[in-house]
Amino acid sequence: MNKVHFDALQETLYNEKLANGLDVYILPKRGFSKTFVTFTTKYGSIDRTFIPNGKNEEVTVPDGIAHFLEHKMFEKEEGDVFQKFSVLGGSANAYTSSTRTAYLFSATEKVYENTKVLLDFVQEPYFTEETVEKEKGIIAQEITMYDDQPDWRLYFGAIQNMFHKHPVKIDIAGTVESIDDITAEHLYECHDTFYHPSNMVLFVVGSVNPEEMMAFIKNNQDDKTFREPAEIVRSFPEEPLTVSVKEQTLEMDVTKPKLSFGMKVTKTNAQSKEMLVQELASDLVLDILFGLSSEFYADAYKNGMIDESYSYGFSLEKGFGFALIISDTEDPKVLEAAIRKTVLEQVNSWSITVEQLDRIRKRKIGQFMRSLNSIEFIANQFTHYSFNDMNLFDIVPVLEKMKLSDLKEAFSGFSDEKGHTTFTVIPAEKNE
Amino acid sequence: MFTKTKLEQGVTLYTRNSDQFKTVNFAVKWKSDLDEKSAGARAVLANILEDSNEKYPTQSELRNKLDDMYGTVLYTNIAKRGNSHIVSLNLECVNDEYLTDGGVLDEAIQLMQTVIFNPNMTDGEFNPEVVSREKRSVAERIRSQYDNKTSYAQRRMLEILEPNSPISISTNGTEEEVVGLTADKLLAEYKTMMTEDTIDIYVVGDIDEQEMAEKLKIALKFSGRSSQQKTVYKKDESKKDGQIKHVNEKQDMKQGKLHLGFSTPVTFDHPDYSKMQVTNGIFGGFAHSKLFMNVREKESMAYYASSSYSSHYGLVYVMAGIDAELEEKAVKLINEQLTVLQNGEITDLEMDQTKALLKNSITSSFDSARGQIEVYDQFKEMEDNFTAEKLISKWESVTKDDVKEMASTIKLEIVYLLSGKEVVTHE
Repeated sequence: MNKVHFDALQETLYNEKLANGLDVYILPKRGFSKTFVTFTTKYGSIDRTFIPNGKNEEVTVPDGIAHFLEHKMFEKEEGDVFQKFSVLGGSANAYTSSTRTAYLFSATEKVYENTKVLLDFVQEPYFTEETVEKEKGIIAQEITMYDDQPDWRLYFGAIQNMFHKHPVKIDIAGTVESIDDITAEHLYECHDTFYHPSNMVLFVVGSVNPEEMMAFIKNNQDDKTFREPAEIVRSFPEEPLTVSVKEQTLEMDVTKPKLSFGMKVTKTNAQSKEMLVQELASDLVLDILFGLSSEFYADAYKNGMIDESYSYGFSLEKGFGFALIISDTEDPKVLEAAIRKTVLEQVNSWSITVEQLDRIRKRKIGQFMRSLNSIEFIANQFTHYSFNDMNLFDIVPVLEKMKLSDLKEAFSGFSDEKGHTTFTVIPAEKNE
Repeated sequence: MFTKTKLEQGVTLYTRNSDQFKTVNFAVKWKSDLDEKSAGARAVLANILEDSNEKYPTQSELRNKLDDMYGTVLYTNIAKRGNSHIVSLNLECVNDEYLTDGGVLDEAIQLMQTVIFNPNMTDGEFNPEVVSREKRSVAERIRSQYDNKTSYAQRRMLEILEPNSPISISTNGTEEEVVGLTADKLLAEYKTMMTEDTIDIYVVGDIDEQEMAEKLKIALKFSGRSSQQKTVYKKDESKKDGQIKHVNEKQDMKQGKLHLGFSTPVTFDHPDYSKMQVTNGIFGGFAHSKLFMNVREKESMAYYASSSYSSHYGLVYVMAGIDAELEEKAVKLINEQLTVLQNGEITDLEMDQTKALLKNSITSSFDSARGQIEVYDQFKEMEDNFTAEKLISKWESVTKDDVKEMASTIKLEIVYLLSGKEVVTHE
């Protein structure tokens, strides 16, 4: 078992890659009562075209299948897995994103028993045509629920505008029509291909003894047989650097128009340290240009262009990335122009100073320290970093070494207007 | 779990030394009676204090200062509990131990003093530009609640069920009140907060409690006040006519938002409070509960179907997202789950699961400093030396008969459905 101590953070991380390929990380947290365990596969909604394990031909599966599979993992021949966690005091959950599916629980007691339930239910698929059919009604309601959320439509609408072909533009849950095509056979095929231990990470954080926990996990895995690990062949269409749709408007029953402004990232092939620098530098540029202490924010808030709903963020994965600026606004055109102007000014004449960088760097370091209080944050972020060969605990040293030139380069990755798009939700005409 | 220090009459400091966290958390809470008029003024005041102050007269200057203090977090929020309105000023800074250049903690205390005692004033009034901006912000916050269909449906259900009562008064007041606020009214409300409200101050972190108390005594010099805000709210049952209300409202949307309101005489200060928590847990609080297992898993009618116990108002409510055409079937199914409880059809497994998850939930919430502050702030009214263990042992002793008895006090009052103008069908 490897052990790395991060002196400045007073944290120690334990890691071992098991014989079956499973990557296990353990981070003990002093003073905490709960333990949080996430078991994550590198498999999300974008993994729709691939060569199934043991086959030679590429297949394209129905949209929404990763999420459907996540739902169905909880149902077993003997009943619902939530029941098992509940009796052990474990609060369980799961989520599917575009790049990963995570299963998790938190518990303040019976941590080993809960861990066993987690490992076993994710590694023992059970699907029948009947249970698959039954789930379709539940997921249809989930899809409809998201359809009615203006903020979700706004967020996802901008992503759909940005991409021509990349499957990140496909709704994670699929559509009511696409999930109708899903069969038990599909689910077995996807599970067999993507849920092999060598494609997964187990992360344990909280009130835990690292040696004992590692031994417990090893025993659990040694008792099971797995096929040999095989490389997973996924295929993604070629994606242009420009946006697919420059602007789009959706009418909904809302009181005030809403704008999301998307900036597509052109460089999406970095991994490891290089990716961490790009990700953090992009965050810092956005903080400086669009953060709460920025000139843009002060003016826009003062002039009533934005309100408390304002937010911005940056997201980067292998193969796609984007920055989004989102707010309710009386006049989406005026806000759009102000955002474009802020970006264009930097493109024409780079003016970010060392003082600005130093101040935002300080904030970012503080923010990271603060987030280490939250074991949910650590668990969720850790896997994103580990799947991209980055280390969460490199954040502070990388921030400390960050230079203006890093920010400039990161900015150039999303500053071209050909990669910019707007998605607007406007109040529907009332026809009573 | 907290050390209590009386700073002045009606002004109390609660400190907790713990090395669990890498930050120090502060909260200052102003508590007053909840009414529509002052709620709006307080919501705007909370925004004004967060925006700027005498030392940092613009939002950018204050935000830059916070960035310089290693991203110290400063924000206000407003809440209600029973009969009380609560304004909180929250501040969180990194513990100096983790920083190359320290001194942030002392700066944070000074900043808190400035924010509270030296607001951004011009000629004896709050800066008019800030006032009009923050009035607009709060008004927009109130209006935009319409856009979130679930919370809108919940709010409508409460308004129809108990109009003009603390149950349905918004923490933000009304849009009309907020828009009509004058400079005088805001100043008067600020003075009330500063001189009449009950004030509770919390600090959690790796601190020397005595030293912290000394520092805060100097920095936060609130005057003594006679108030002792209690949150207990008593419902006026005399107006009840015993009829179940049925209300359907429409928006342009696809899903049906079904909200059911039930009343119970068992409230937060009732001796049976912990029994009712277990009862709600079995009814619909968790993923093993009767509502989840039957409405979602067995009938595949909903993605979410759950119940909540609003103990300060003696309410239990159920929410489910359904196909609007299935309203009748869903209501019947939900009522059946309650009847099952009232008949005492409860398994040992359900009892064990619910107690285990209640225990997990309170223990987990103590894993964040904010959680410690918020949970303790609520329960200290029940008992000064409240601990999670005391509540857990109460849950442990709840029996199936208790649950049956509690369930029989739960009465359906209202069925509210928010749904689309056209019926959407899924083939």
